[in-house]
Amino acid sequence: MADPEGLFAAHHQRLFRYFCRAVGRAEAARDLTQEVFLRVSRSSIPAAADGEVSAWLFRIARNLVLDHHRDRLRHPEPTVPADQATRSPSQDVDLAVNEALASLPALDRDVFLMREVAGLGYDAIAGACELTSDAVRSRIHRTRLQLRDQLAAPIATTRTMAMCRSEKQR
Amino acid sequence: MGSTHEVISAFLDDEPFDSQELADALSDPIGRALLIDLIALRRIVQPGDAVPAISAPGPMRRPAWRPAAAAAVLLLALSAGYLVGERRTVASSPDAPPPTRIVQAVPFIPTGGSR
Repeated sequence: MADPEGLFAAHHQRLFRYFCRAVGRAEAARDLTQEVFLRVSRSSIPAAADGEVSAWLFRIARNLVLDHHRDRLRHPEPTVPADQATRSPSQDVDLAVNEALASLPALDRDVFLMREVAGLGYDAIAGACELTSDAVRSRIHRTRLQLRDQLAAPIATTRTMAMCRSEKQR
Repeated sequence: MGSTHEVISAFLDDEPFDSQELADALSDPIGRALLIDLIALRRIVQPGDAVPAISAPGPMRRPAWRPAAAAAVLLLALSAGYLVGERRTVASSPDAPPPTRIVQAVPFIPTGGSR
């Protein structure tokens, strides 16, 4: 799978999901996903195993996220806080998740998101973030523990809802 | 907790793990609670937005009509060049200049000279 179209078909959804959480906005995520493939089309695709190609793509993606955050720091966009009364519970959870992710160090956030929302294996994440697989494993676990504390309330709600569903099914 | 329960993360991620280590971790109620919380965490961090229709950027596409169009343009250019050249040759060919000297051809008559 060394053609840009094949790469696009195989990876654009997972890249989009990663960008959604990494930058917190769907429009920006869409633009960044397209930017990844624009860069891919201008460069030679490494003839390597699928995991290594994923690592290469996510290295590009990670650099774009870092650039995006640097730009936001230089040119902050005015954010209109959503009305708390009209926000749905799922929007509240979404906001809390984005805030918790934003509070993480960039490398921890990226490693976690590449695993949790993009579904990359430890080796591919290690390649994308220039770490060892063992370091990825420790970092993911540590980040999970941190997020578990920060998102205790939505986690408890999800757990309760799942238990209610399983009770009903019995 | 911490690294002693790292095996739970590896198990959750479908990565290689030591089964005895996992059994030990899950025999502890804290480990079991952690597993459930991490599954819930995985659920809530999934982005809610459906993946929009993202098209592959332009430069990646190489339309099939491009080579045909290039060949057609080349053929047109060659034909046009040939026609223009031919017309110019016919239209601008000048008359032959008048002769400046006329040489009369004298028939050769052998005189029976020396051998």
